[in-house]
Amino acid sequence: MSTQTITPPTQTPQTAGHQNGSGITFARALRSEWIKFTTVPSSVILIATTVVVMVGLAALSAWSFTVLAQSDAQLPPDVQVPLEGPGSAAAMALTVSSSGLVFGQLLIASLAVVLIASEWATGMIRSTLVAVPRRSTALLAKALVVSVVAFLVGFVSALLSYLVSQPILGMENMSFSLTEDGVLRSIVNSGTYLALIALISVAIGILLRNTAGGIVTAVGVFFVLPLVFELISGLADWVTEAARYLPGQAGMEMVAITTSDGALTPLEGGLTMTAWALVLLIGALVVTKKRDV
Amino acid sequence: MIEVQSLSKKYGTKTAVDDISFTVQPGKVTGFLGPNGAGKSTTMRMVMGLDNPSAGHVTVNGRHYTQHRAPLREVGALLDAKAVHTKRSAYNHLRAMAATHGIPNRRVEEVIELTGLGPVAKKRVGGFSLGMGQRLGIAAALLGNPHTVILDEPINGLDPEGVQWVRHLAKDLAAQGRTVFLSSHLMSEMALTADHLIVIGRGRIIADAPIQTILDAQSTSRVRVRADRLHDLLNGLAAEGVTSQLFEPELVEITGVEPRRIAEVARREDVLIYELFPLQVSLEDAYMQLTQDEVEYQSQNMSDMNSISASSEGR
Repeated sequence: MSTQTITPPTQTPQTAGHQNGSGITFARALRSEWIKFTTVPSSVILIATTVVVMVGLAALSAWSFTVLAQSDAQLPPDVQVPLEGPGSAAAMALTVSSSGLVFGQLLIASLAVVLIASEWATGMIRSTLVAVPRRSTALLAKALVVSVVAFLVGFVSALLSYLVSQPILGMENMSFSLTEDGVLRSIVNSGTYLALIALISVAIGILLRNTAGGIVTAVGVFFVLPLVFELISGLADWVTEAARYLPGQAGMEMVAITTSDGALTPLEGGLTMTAWALVLLIGALVVTKKRDV
Repeated sequence: MIEVQSLSKKYGTKTAVDDISFTVQPGKVTGFLGPNGAGKSTTMRMVMGLDNPSAGHVTVNGRHYTQHRAPLREVGALLDAKAVHTKRSAYNHLRAMAATHGIPNRRVEEVIELTGLGPVAKKRVGGFSLGMGQRLGIAAALLGNPHTVILDEPINGLDPEGVQWVRHLAKDLAAQGRTVFLSSHLMSEMALTADHLIVIGRGRIIADAPIQTILDAQSTSRVRVRADRLHDLLNGLAAEGVTSQLFEPELVEITGVEPRRIAEVARREDVLIYELFPLQVSLEDAYMQLTQDEVEYQSQNMSDMNSISASSEGR
């Protein structure tokens, strides 16, 4: 082991830091976060699991739509659901690409929380913020990496779901094309939805700085909270109204093929969920600025 | 160069760092010495912009750490060895840190070589010993080839070879004109490594001086003397206001006068001196004297308990 040499010996150490292009840029912070993302095994495992679960669920629901169509055909004509239009098996089948999203969101939320909260759990955050002392730069770089990955996971999973489900739906002549109304938008917005889920989860992770607590909170917001609103919806009309603005409920309108009466449009839903993400993220950054690490 | 001005840090009602000011100069190794909990790590975290001061401010190379465009090229710090994701390899950890400043992988490999991490660089940090963790922390600190290097308890957990390596490293860095600031609670280590010493206790600066000055100030010129007619010698010295302690008929320890003066008096009194040995106060003794107040304060706080065990714990 060498004990003598620090290479290279600096002639004028005072100026070492002031060379052009030697400092922090957002692109470099992104690159660092990308390296961090790809060099822990949990990222790869959770992403692979998410894709498999989402595509698997889509295949299962495609299968269940064909079973529904079959059993429907055996019923007396007066109780049959219509072959066309809302409520028909064929109309429901159009949603097949995004049918895994409800569970996919929980895995992506967990991934996002783990990636950010583990920084505090392991002490890595101190190395991170020594390298990039502007906390908003460091945290936004991570949030961006996580949400771009989440977008790709959502988009690719939805596209694969579409492709896998077509042969299954084809058995009952229910296959449909990508150009069908809302189908492509739904597939792309599956990605957008997971990206926003990731941003909200990153914000929760920053605020709580605790992996387990962060995951529980995220699952609570995206999974339990809608159920609670559902349960108490009988109490007052405004409960049902308010439930539409929950981040998950609002965001799901982006992937819905048809907008039901009184629901938010895909654009309104997307903007509502984006607003949630921005408010939480800005809150998390403000809080972090004042904290000791 | 690190400049600390009136820096304070309070956690609720507890004051961890209490209005301290000091400057760490380039070109020498400055030791930051104090018992556990004295405020060393808190101060260093404030230097690195991780903790926000309650009052006062601190600059490194002329600016607050967070204001530097390329902070890793200005300051490198080992704050705690385990500030690393346990599932990531040492190599990837350093690569991720380097990427923030566009530092090439060549430099990553250099610091791995330099710190002797080569054989374990591709292994997960979670399995590292404390010593390996320290080496990784030092590697990260050196990544940007910085002008100022801050090492918090760098020799913790290192084997003897590693301790010696850190000692050489600190001196080499200082010899290159860099600012080297390292903390320790081990006085013996500081005596070997540091040129300048800042002693902190209970969040306050107790001493800030070159190591030799601290030793000199604390040594009250104690001299061990063997002579044949001690009685005459001591009588001759009586006018000088000395205190003496007789150990053997011809062995005495004289405090309060220079060895040369003793020899002069001995010649005048025609006393034969056959041993004259100045007793240097060790840095350890000096440190104990400096922090004595703090220790006593501690034991008073624990007055219900056995005060002897409390005070020895405080040390």
